[in-house]
Amino acid sequence: MTDFIHLTEEDRQTLADGTMPEPRAREAEAHLRECGACTADVDALRRVVSRLQRPSVDASPADEMWPDVRLRIEQAKLVPLHPGSRVRERAKRTPIWIASGLAAAMIVIGLLASLNSVHRKAAESAPSADAADVADAGVPLTAVNDSVRSYEAEARILLDRLELERATIGPTAMAPLDRDLAVIDRAIAELQAAIASDPNNPALRRLLAASYRQKVDLLRRARNAG
Amino acid sequence: MLPTSEASPLTTDNGAIDDAVRRAQQGDIAAFETIYHASAPAVYRLCRRMVGDDCEARELVQDVFVRAWEKLPTFRNQSALGTWLHRLAANLVIQHLRSAGRRATRFIEVDPDMSAPTRAVAIDSRLDADAAIARLPDGARSVLALHLEGYSHDEIAQMMGIAAGTARTQLFRARRALMHLLEA
Repeated sequence: MTDFIHLTEEDRQTLADGTMPEPRAREAEAHLRECGACTADVDALRRVVSRLQRPSVDASPADEMWPDVRLRIEQAKLVPLHPGSRVRERAKRTPIWIASGLAAAMIVIGLLASLNSVHRKAAESAPSADAADVADAGVPLTAVNDSVRSYEAEARILLDRLELERATIGPTAMAPLDRDLAVIDRAIAELQAAIASDPNNPALRRLLAASYRQKVDLLRRARNAG
Repeated sequence: MLPTSEASPLTTDNGAIDDAVRRAQQGDIAAFETIYHASAPAVYRLCRRMVGDDCEARELVQDVFVRAWEKLPTFRNQSALGTWLHRLAANLVIQHLRSAGRRATRFIEVDPDMSAPTRAVAIDSRLDADAAIARLPDGARSVLALHLEGYSHDEIAQMMGIAAGTARTQLFRARRALMHLLEA
């Protein structure tokens, strides 16, 4: 090997990532001792390889996403899906960044309609003692309650951050958000009142969890937009 | 096959995780939460690198674990849980890129140091590695992300439906592009 025949791209790359087999690696290293151009290039590639192997310094947001995952699992249990329908469901799901206050209002309207329906059913037949422990379709009531608590805690944190940022956002931009939050809070208050009078009704608690989730989603979108 | 480039929580399957898997397979959501917290950061990192966008990555992490919950009863411990979840995540991301109308096979067509887009972004000299990776075309980024997770050229090629030689070439070109981005 001479200085006039430089290493190929594959040689340089496999030298840089350490995958070049022997005896080719020994020959290539011998070339590097005599060729400044190839040495500089392989060194630059080695720096890139090394940098890519360093763990990302960003904190993972995975922990804060667990309530969403759990709720989706619970919802999937409530409404059994045909095999493969999860992919279709995903395609239909509204992307986070385009969901709007209008969507929030529509969902709350839906929740309130569901609330009326739940009340009618409750009036027709009071829930049995078994229903106190297990929600519809086998979802444990404690799981629904855990979701409510998780969303409530996250909403509180996001609201605190929002209050700190309120001064820099401006009243015009804040008005639609405040209006949507008020609609959701009204639905939450009505659901809490309904639960107080019918504490063992699992459907009411699921609706409450969905309301809190809507609130958290709205606050997250506001934060990301900011 | 396990990730080789980073210390991943998924590589440290132990008795506690095995026990959590058994209980989760019986429908224990609390056990599944243990699995989630042990493995979600690595799954998020894979998704984030493959799609190059935080919001998309978050949605995909949800999809991965909802799917994992559905498929967990079929998991037979023949492979480590981490390997199984990684494969599930990688396949879902590739499927997502295709279904979203994006070209999972959009690669770097020319020598990256000669391409105008690369020169244009090279002025941003303080890019961190993840931000630089996010600027690669979908296909090249996916190849690089999977390689960083320890997949071989053949495995990447099989998952993405491309030739092994293409996977190798795209990895090399992706590194070249990153070299210009990171060292500008």
